[in-house]
Amino acid sequence: MHISEGVLSAPVLLTGAVLSLIGLTLGLRKIKNEDIPKVAVLSSAFFVASLIHIPIGPTSAHLVLNGLVGMLLGWAAFPSIFVALVLQALLFQFGGLTTLGVNTFAMAMPGVLLYYVFRKMLQKGKNLAFLGGFLGGFLALLVAAFFISIALMETEKSFVGIAGTLLVMHLPIALIEGIITGFVVVYLKKVKPEALIC
Amino acid sequence: MLNYRQQNYWFAQHKINQRRFLTSFGMTGKGSELKKKNSELDKKNLKIKKGIIFILVIQLLIFISTSAYAHKVSTYAYREGDKIFGECYFVDGSPCKNSKVEIYDLKGQKILEAVTDEKGKYSFTTKEKGTLRIIIPAGEGHRAEYKLEGIAEKPEKKENKETMTAKTPNKPVQSEATVNKDEIKQIIDEVMDAKLQGLRAEIMDLRKQMDKVSLRDIIGGIGYIFGIWGIIMLLKRKKNAS
Repeated sequence: MHISEGVLSAPVLLTGAVLSLIGLTLGLRKIKNEDIPKVAVLSSAFFVASLIHIPIGPTSAHLVLNGLVGMLLGWAAFPSIFVALVLQALLFQFGGLTTLGVNTFAMAMPGVLLYYVFRKMLQKGKNLAFLGGFLGGFLALLVAAFFISIALMETEKSFVGIAGTLLVMHLPIALIEGIITGFVVVYLKKVKPEALIC
Repeated sequence: MLNYRQQNYWFAQHKINQRRFLTSFGMTGKGSELKKKNSELDKKNLKIKKGIIFILVIQLLIFISTSAYAHKVSTYAYREGDKIFGECYFVDGSPCKNSKVEIYDLKGQKILEAVTDEKGKYSFTTKEKGTLRIIIPAGEGHRAEYKLEGIAEKPEKKENKETMTAKTPNKPVQSEATVNKDEIKQIIDEVMDAKLQGLRAEIMDLRKQMDKVSLRDIIGGIGYIFGIWGIIMLLKRKKNAS
């Protein structure tokens, strides 16, 4: 899910950077002081999730958890994911510093969008909340794969080809993340319902 | 496991203390109450066990994650005369199969193209002695780059010159000796290659290990994240105060 350095052209990088900057400022403004520990925890969850890799067929993909971060944070997902991506780039050389903008936008934006779609569902009963969480986690990854394909369209030439491979590769992971997000939402509902409102 | 034992020890001590506490209040007579306490203690025991399992699972996850990888591609190459051998692999050491390899010179011009085999290895021959940039576009936004320095070639050149200068005075005098010298050179090359092969494999393994994600980085990264968010929290608080 991380686009490496030197793959994208300057206009794509710049667009990603500008879009991410808007998201970052919006996110930082929306964070309340008492929400920051939650943001930090989800930041580190995102940071570690990329190391847990699941082999599927010939290739393998890793967990992303961008849906979980988005569903629990809304716009704050931007700064949360950005911090994690910076450290992944610096410590593990996943992605790169120049591609930070594109990567941040591609992973944070789907979560934010789906947060607005499903946030009412999270406040309802246990089953509906699970469904909302599942769909949020499931779709966020697929939308992220779609965004990444758009970014790679120029370098890979055929959009359908790259989007197809990325979506197929991430479908099982999306299922796993949907289940994880669903359970986390239900658990938080039981233990700390105020954590779901942001 | 030590942790578990300690927990058990602590737990036993706790139980004894509780009994002592109960006896001091004259509560030992009430068997039912004691049973109740015991069942409560059992519940607590279960909770502790659950906690231990949880910790073990997390440890396992960390263990798995250290051997797992994200899609980071690395490559390494070395020269052997005109031939260049390289290998392309993912962070966990699994090979990068059937991937295109592009070779550029220092000016940024593409000289050659190659393809990795099933083991992620590639090789090509080039007369270019300068620094080479080897780029592997592994698809889906992944890319590896390796700069193969050209300096390693220079001492060999000097060596060639030396042998040449050594040869020229010898040639007219003894033709047999030059043949012998060539043979010796060939033998030395062969032996050196065989010896270096092991060394190269070791360098390869070391590089692969270096590219693996270390536990130190993971824990350090989590620490950094909390630190960064702590600073943001502080700054926000100051803003609110003013």
